[in-house]
Amino acid sequence: MTGKGLRAAGGRHPSRWLDPRGRHLGTWAFVLNRLTGLGLVAYLYLHLIVLSTLLRGPAAWDGLVAVFRHPVFLAFDVLLVLGLAVHGLNGLRVALVGSGLLVDRHRALLVAAGVLIGLVGLVAAVRTFA
Amino acid sequence: MATRTLPDRTRAASSPRRPRPTVVWLAQVVSGVLLLVLMTVHMVAQHFVVEGGLRTYQDVVAWIRNPVVFAVEALLLLTVTWHGLAGVHAVLLDLGLRGRADRIVARSLLGLAVVTVAYGLWLLATIAFRG
Repeated sequence: MTGKGLRAAGGRHPSRWLDPRGRHLGTWAFVLNRLTGLGLVAYLYLHLIVLSTLLRGPAAWDGLVAVFRHPVFLAFDVLLVLGLAVHGLNGLRVALVGSGLLVDRHRALLVAAGVLIGLVGLVAAVRTFA
Repeated sequence: MATRTLPDRTRAASSPRRPRPTVVWLAQVVSGVLLLVLMTVHMVAQHFVVEGGLRTYQDVVAWIRNPVVFAVEALLLLTVTWHGLAGVHAVLLDLGLRGRADRIVARSLLGLAVVTVAYGLWLLATIAFRG
Protein backbone atom coordinates (compact mmCIF):
# COMPACT_ATOMS: atom_id res chain seq x y z
CA MET A 1 0.00 0.00 0.00
CA THR A 2 1.31 3.46 -0.85
CA GLY A 3 1.87 6.19 1.72
CA LYS A 4 -1.15 8.05 0.25
CA GLY A 5 -3.26 4.92 0.57
CA LEU A 6 -2.19 4.37 4.17
CA ARG A 7 -3.02 7.97 5.06
CA ALA A 8 -6.42 7.63 3.38
CA ALA A 9 -7.03 4.51 5.49
CA GLY A 10 -6.51 6.56 8.65
CA GLY A 11 -2.89 5.65 9.27
CA ARG A 12 0.23 7.71 9.71
CA HIS A 13 2.22 8.64 6.64
CA PRO A 14 5.75 7.15 6.73
CA SER A 15 7.25 10.66 6.46
CA ARG A 16 5.74 11.43 9.92
CA TRP A 17 8.30 9.03 11.43
CA LEU A 18 11.02 11.60 10.88
CA ASP A 19 8.93 14.64 11.76
CA PRO A 20 10.74 16.17 14.79
CA ARG A 21 7.74 18.22 16.01
CA GLY A 22 6.48 17.19 19.45
CA ARG A 23 8.70 14.14 19.63
CA HIS A 24 10.27 12.82 22.83
CA LEU A 25 13.49 10.83 23.15
CA GLY A 26 11.51 7.61 23.70
CA THR A 27 9.58 8.18 20.48
CA TRP A 28 12.82 8.61 18.54
CA ALA A 29 14.08 5.35 20.08
CA PHE A 30 10.86 3.66 18.94
CA VAL A 31 11.29 5.03 15.41
CA LEU A 32 14.94 3.90 15.42
CA ASN A 33 13.78 0.42 16.44
CA ARG A 34 11.35 0.29 13.53
CA LEU A 35 13.95 1.50 11.00
CA THR A 36 16.70 -0.88 12.22
CA GLY A 37 14.15 -3.72 12.22
CA LEU A 38 13.22 -3.09 8.59
CA GLY A 39 16.91 -2.87 7.68
CA LEU A 40 17.63 -6.17 9.42
CA VAL A 41 14.75 -7.91 7.60
CA ALA A 42 16.29 -6.71 4.32
CA TYR A 43 19.67 -8.01 5.51
CA LEU A 44 18.14 -11.42 6.38
CA TYR A 45 17.25 -11.95 2.71
CA LEU A 46 20.58 -10.55 1.50
CA HIS A 47 22.31 -12.99 3.90
CA LEU A 48 20.33 -15.94 2.51
CA ILE A 49 21.28 -14.93 -1.04
CA VAL A 50 24.96 -14.69 -0.07
CA LEU A 51 24.85 -18.06 1.77
CA SER A 52 23.39 -19.64 -1.37
CA THR A 53 26.86 -19.23 -2.89
CA LEU A 54 27.85 -22.25 -0.75
CA LEU A 55 25.81 -24.38 -3.17
CA ARG A 56 28.30 -23.48 -5.94
CA GLY A 57 31.20 -25.13 -4.12
CA PRO A 58 34.46 -24.18 -2.35
CA ALA A 59 35.92 -21.97 -5.11
CA ALA A 60 32.84 -19.74 -5.32
CA TRP A 61 32.48 -19.41 -1.53
CA ASP A 62 36.16 -18.86 -0.74
CA GLY A 63 36.36 -16.29 -3.56
CA LEU A 64 33.41 -14.41 -2.06
CA VAL A 65 34.98 -14.55 1.42
CA ALA A 66 38.13 -12.96 -0.02
CA VAL A 67 35.99 -10.09 -1.41
CA PHE A 68 34.19 -9.68 1.94
CA ARG A 69 37.53 -9.21 3.71
CA HIS A 70 37.87 -5.81 2.00
CA PRO A 71 37.72 -2.95 4.57
CA VAL A 72 34.51 -1.54 3.02
CA PHE A 73 32.67 -4.81 3.64
CA LEU A 74 34.23 -5.10 7.12
CA ALA A 75 32.85 -1.61 7.90
CA PHE A 76 29.41 -2.88 6.85
CA ASP A 77 29.93 -5.82 9.25
CA VAL A 78 30.49 -3.39 12.11
CA LEU A 79 27.40 -1.43 11.00
CA LEU A 80 25.43 -4.70 11.02
CA VAL A 81 26.55 -5.52 14.57
CA LEU A 82 25.59 -1.96 15.60
CA GLY A 83 22.17 -2.39 13.97
CA LEU A 84 21.65 -5.70 15.78
CA ALA A 85 22.72 -4.14 19.09
CA VAL A 86 20.44 -1.10 18.62
CA HIS A 87 17.45 -3.22 17.65
CA GLY A 88 18.09 -5.92 20.26
CA LEU A 89 18.90 -3.80 23.30
CA ASN A 90 16.51 -0.95 22.50
CA GLY A 91 13.89 -3.56 21.63
CA LEU A 92 14.36 -5.10 25.07
CA ARG A 93 13.72 -1.67 26.57
CA VAL A 94 10.61 -1.17 24.40
CA ALA A 95 9.37 -4.64 25.43
CA LEU A 96 9.89 -3.90 29.15
CA VAL A 97 8.22 -0.49 29.03
CA GLY A 98 5.49 -1.74 26.67
CA SER A 99 4.72 -4.57 29.09
CA GLY A 100 4.33 -2.06 31.93
CA LEU A 101 7.64 -2.93 33.59
CA LEU A 102 10.11 -0.23 34.71
CA VAL A 103 7.97 2.43 33.02
CA ASP A 104 9.22 5.08 35.47
CA ARG A 105 12.81 4.08 34.64
CA HIS A 106 12.45 4.26 30.85
CA ARG A 107 14.95 7.10 30.56
CA ALA A 108 17.57 5.21 32.61
CA LEU A 109 16.92 2.11 30.48
CA LEU A 110 17.52 4.19 27.37
CA VAL A 111 20.84 5.47 28.72
CA ALA A 112 21.88 1.93 29.73
CA ALA A 113 20.94 0.61 26.28
CA GLY A 114 22.92 3.46 24.69
CA VAL A 115 26.03 2.67 26.75
CA LEU A 116 25.80 -1.07 25.96
CA ILE A 117 25.27 -0.37 22.24
CA GLY A 118 28.36 1.85 22.25
CA LEU A 119 30.40 -0.88 23.95
CA VAL A 120 29.20 -3.56 21.52
CA GLY A 121 30.05 -1.29 18.57
CA LEU A 122 33.49 -0.58 19.98
CA VAL A 123 34.26 -4.28 20.57
CA ALA A 124 32.99 -5.15 17.07
CA ALA A 125 35.13 -2.42 15.46
CA VAL A 126 38.27 -3.42 17.38
CA ARG A 127 37.69 -7.15 16.76
CA THR A 128 37.03 -6.58 13.05
CA PHE A 129 39.86 -4.20 12.23
CA ALA A 130 42.54 -5.14 14.81
CA MET B 1 -13.22 16.34 25.88
CA ALA B 2 -14.51 12.80 25.71
CA THR B 3 -14.36 11.13 22.34
CA ARG B 4 -17.17 8.76 21.43
CA THR B 5 -15.83 5.53 20.03
CA LEU B 6 -17.79 3.03 18.02
CA PRO B 7 -17.39 -0.70 18.62
CA ASP B 8 -15.14 -2.39 16.08
CA ARG B 9 -17.49 -4.53 14.01
CA THR B 10 -15.04 -5.32 11.22
CA ARG B 11 -14.61 -8.94 10.17
CA ALA B 12 -10.98 -8.81 11.26
CA ALA B 13 -11.94 -7.82 14.80
CA SER B 14 -14.77 -10.34 15.16
CA SER B 15 -13.01 -13.37 13.68
CA PRO B 16 -12.38 -15.93 16.44
CA ARG B 17 -9.35 -17.30 14.54
CA ARG B 18 -7.52 -13.97 14.46
CA PRO B 19 -4.82 -13.81 17.18
CA ARG B 20 -5.44 -11.19 19.85
CA PRO B 21 -2.96 -8.29 19.76
CA THR B 22 -1.69 -9.21 23.24
CA VAL B 23 -0.75 -12.70 22.03
CA VAL B 24 1.04 -11.25 18.99
CA TRP B 25 2.84 -8.73 21.23
CA LEU B 26 3.86 -11.49 23.67
CA ALA B 27 5.10 -13.70 20.81
CA GLN B 28 7.14 -10.77 19.48
CA VAL B 29 8.68 -10.13 22.91
CA VAL B 30 9.49 -13.82 23.54
CA SER B 31 10.97 -14.30 20.05
CA GLY B 32 12.93 -11.06 20.49
CA VAL B 33 14.48 -12.20 23.78
CA LEU B 34 15.25 -15.61 22.25
CA LEU B 35 16.88 -13.83 19.30
CA LEU B 36 19.11 -11.81 21.63
CA VAL B 37 20.58 -15.11 22.85
CA LEU B 38 20.62 -16.97 19.50
CA MET B 39 22.00 -14.01 17.54
CA THR B 40 24.75 -13.43 20.12
CA VAL B 41 25.76 -17.11 19.86
CA HIS B 42 25.60 -16.95 16.04
CA MET B 43 27.67 -13.76 15.73
CA VAL B 44 30.31 -14.82 18.26
CA ALA B 45 30.64 -18.39 16.94
CA GLN B 46 30.44 -17.57 13.24
CA HIS B 47 32.43 -14.36 13.14
CA PHE B 48 34.10 -13.11 16.31
CA VAL B 49 36.10 -16.25 17.19
CA VAL B 50 36.99 -17.04 13.57
CA GLU B 51 40.30 -15.97 12.05
CA GLY B 52 39.51 -13.08 9.68
CA GLY B 53 35.85 -13.04 10.75
CA LEU B 54 34.61 -15.46 8.06
CA ARG B 55 34.81 -19.24 7.69
CA THR B 56 36.22 -21.02 4.65
CA TYR B 57 33.99 -23.49 2.75
CA GLN B 58 35.40 -26.53 4.57
CA ASP B 59 35.04 -24.78 7.94
CA VAL B 60 31.41 -23.87 7.21
CA VAL B 61 30.56 -27.47 6.23
CA ALA B 62 32.31 -28.95 9.29
CA TRP B 63 30.58 -26.40 11.53
CA ILE B 64 27.07 -26.98 10.14
CA ARG B 65 27.51 -30.79 10.33
CA ASN B 66 27.63 -30.54 14.13
CA PRO B 67 24.05 -31.54 15.17
CA VAL B 68 23.93 -28.94 17.97
CA VAL B 69 25.02 -26.15 15.59
CA PHE B 70 22.51 -27.37 12.97
CA ALA B 71 19.70 -27.26 15.55
CA VAL B 72 20.72 -23.80 16.84
CA GLU B 73 20.96 -22.37 13.29
CA ALA B 74 17.57 -23.90 12.36
CA LEU B 75 15.98 -22.42 15.48
CA LEU B 76 17.60 -19.06 14.69
CA LEU B 77 16.21 -19.15 11.15
CA LEU B 78 12.70 -19.96 12.40
CA THR B 79 12.77 -17.32 15.14
CA VAL B 80 14.31 -14.52 13.06
CA THR B 81 11.86 -15.13 10.20
CA TRP B 82 8.84 -15.03 12.52
CA HIS B 83 10.11 -11.98 14.44
CA GLY B 84 11.12 -10.07 11.30
CA LEU B 85 7.99 -10.63 9.25
CA ALA B 86 5.66 -10.14 12.25
CA GLY B 87 7.58 -6.89 12.78
CA VAL B 88 6.97 -5.82 9.18
CA HIS B 89 3.26 -6.55 9.70
CA ALA B 90 3.27 -4.50 12.92
CA VAL B 91 4.86 -1.55 11.09
CA LEU B 92 2.21 -1.74 8.36
CA LEU B 93 -0.58 -1.91 10.97
CA ASP B 94 0.96 1.11 12.69
CA LEU B 95 0.86 2.95 9.36
CA GLY B 96 -2.85 2.24 9.03
CA LEU B 97 -3.18 -1.06 7.16
CA ARG B 98 -6.68 -2.38 7.81
CA GLY B 99 -9.42 -4.68 6.54
CA ARG B 100 -9.05 -6.64 3.32
CA ALA B 101 -5.62 -5.21 2.52
CA ASP B 102 -4.42 -6.31 5.96
CA ARG B 103 -5.71 -9.84 5.43
CA ILE B 104 -3.97 -10.08 2.04
CA VAL B 105 -0.69 -8.70 3.43
CA ALA B 106 -0.84 -10.96 6.52
CA ARG B 107 -1.36 -14.08 4.36
CA SER B 108 1.39 -12.99 1.96
CA LEU B 109 3.83 -12.46 4.83
CA LEU B 110 2.90 -15.88 6.27
CA GLY B 111 3.54 -17.43 2.85
CA LEU B 112 6.86 -15.62 2.59
CA ALA B 113 7.80 -16.87 6.09
CA VAL B 114 7.02 -20.48 5.12
CA VAL B 115 9.07 -20.19 1.90
CA THR B 116 11.94 -18.50 3.76
CA VAL B 117 12.13 -21.16 6.48
CA ALA B 118 11.74 -24.00 3.97
CA TYR B 119 14.52 -22.61 1.74
CA GLY B 120 16.79 -21.90 4.72
CA LEU B 121 16.36 -25.42 6.13
CA TRP B 122 16.95 -26.95 2.68
CA LEU B 123 20.10 -24.82 2.32
CA LEU B 124 21.36 -25.86 5.77
CA ALA B 125 20.67 -29.55 5.09
CA THR B 126 22.23 -29.42 1.63
CA ILE B 127 25.40 -27.81 2.96
CA ALA B 128 25.60 -30.23 5.90
CA PHE B 129 24.97 -33.44 3.97
CA ARG B 130 26.58 -32.66 0.64
CA GLY B 131 29.82 -31.33 2.08
